[in-house]
This record gives sequence, structure tokens and C-alpha cells, in this order.
Amino acid sequence: MSSALSSSIQEIRDWILSKHPDLTAVDMSEDLIESRLIDSLSFVEFTFVIESASGVTIDMEKIDIDDFRTLTAVEKAFFATR
Amino acid sequence: MDVRIGVDIVPVQRIQAMIENTTAFPLDRMLSATELGLCRGVEFDVAGVAGRIAAKEAVFKLFRATRGALPWPTIEILKGAGGWPEVELSGRAAALAEQARIEQISVSITHDGPYAVAVAVAHIASA
Repeated sequence: MSSALSSSIQEIRDWILSKHPDLTAVDMSEDLIESRLIDSLSFVEFTFVIESASGVTIDMEKIDIDDFRTLTAVEKAFFATR
Repeated sequence: MDVRIGVDIVPVQRIQAMIENTTAFPLDRMLSATELGLCRGVEFDVAGVAGRIAAKEAVFKLFRATRGALPWPTIEILKGAGGWPEVELSGRAAALAEQARIEQISVSITHDGPYAVAVAVAHIASA
């Protein structure tokens, strides 16, 4: 994984960890929605964090929830072309 | 005629944190311009925003949608003539309500201390 990419994903991981001080790590394959690390209230903030880290503008009306389900999915959906 | 119910609770502190968030303003994507206008006097009515957010979540639960995120701006919680909350659906929310055969939705909101709670009730047309 390129260092720019890994630092962007780390930025997103750090944001998730900041919301859950009881956690020390978030696995790339962890289901963020099923585990409620991201709930419907924090989901919108999550899209902002991904936008800022990836530079991709997210159209809330056209999203596929599976693109946000794991850090691996986020990486594939928003960072693959970088 | 069936009836369906949805309920949700929102910690007011989470909304306060969103409002104080300097890098992004998620509420712009969660509240319509009309709703923002209703929630913003001299200052934000933080508990009122939390109640509105809880009401949107409660209404979304009525749809029993299995895919897609909550379509926040298309579930509007407006103010009725007498000040009670009224639900207005548009776009994706209206489509989800139609799929769920929802005919009419009413909501009730309360907030006290650190929490806001909302209940939504819908009439479901028979198939």
C-alpha cells in the first residue's frame, strides 16, 4: 500500500478511534456499520472525513452503503484511482 | 389497516459536538434549509435539533429499508400551525414510504436534560 494511501486510511481510522476512546485499533475488514462504530448519526460526519482524506465529493443521494462498510471497502471505493 | 411505530433517542451532546465541529458541518447534510431556519434563532436550539434528528431516525425506521443510508434532507420535520411537528417527505424518502405502503405519518418529540426522544407512527395501507 503506498504511503500516501496508508496515511489517508490511517487518518480515517484515527477519526473512528477518536469517537470510541475505549478502542485501540480498527481492523481493515471490520464491519463498521454492523459493529455500530459508525451509526446513522455519525455516518454523515464519516462521509466528510472520507471526502477530506480522498478529495472525492460524495453525493449522499447516490451512495452505496457497502462502500463504507469496512476500511478496505472505503479504500477501494474512494482511493483506488489515486 | 396496519400501524407501524418507530422510536429513536439522540444524546444532545452529540449534536452539540457536531455544531462545534470546525472542520465540517454535517448538519448541512442532515437538515434542510427550512429546518435549519427553524432551529437557528440567535443561537442554535441544540435540543431542538437533537429532537428533529431523532424524529428523522424514527420515521426512517418506519420504512424498514434494507439498503442505503438514511436520506436525511428528504425527511423533513417541520412545524405545524399549532407548533406540533409535521413530517414532509420528498425524493428518496417519499419513494421508500410508498414502497412500504405508508399512508400517513405522525411524530412526537420530547427532550429533557441530556436526551431527545422521538416516536413516529404510520398507517400502512393493506396490500
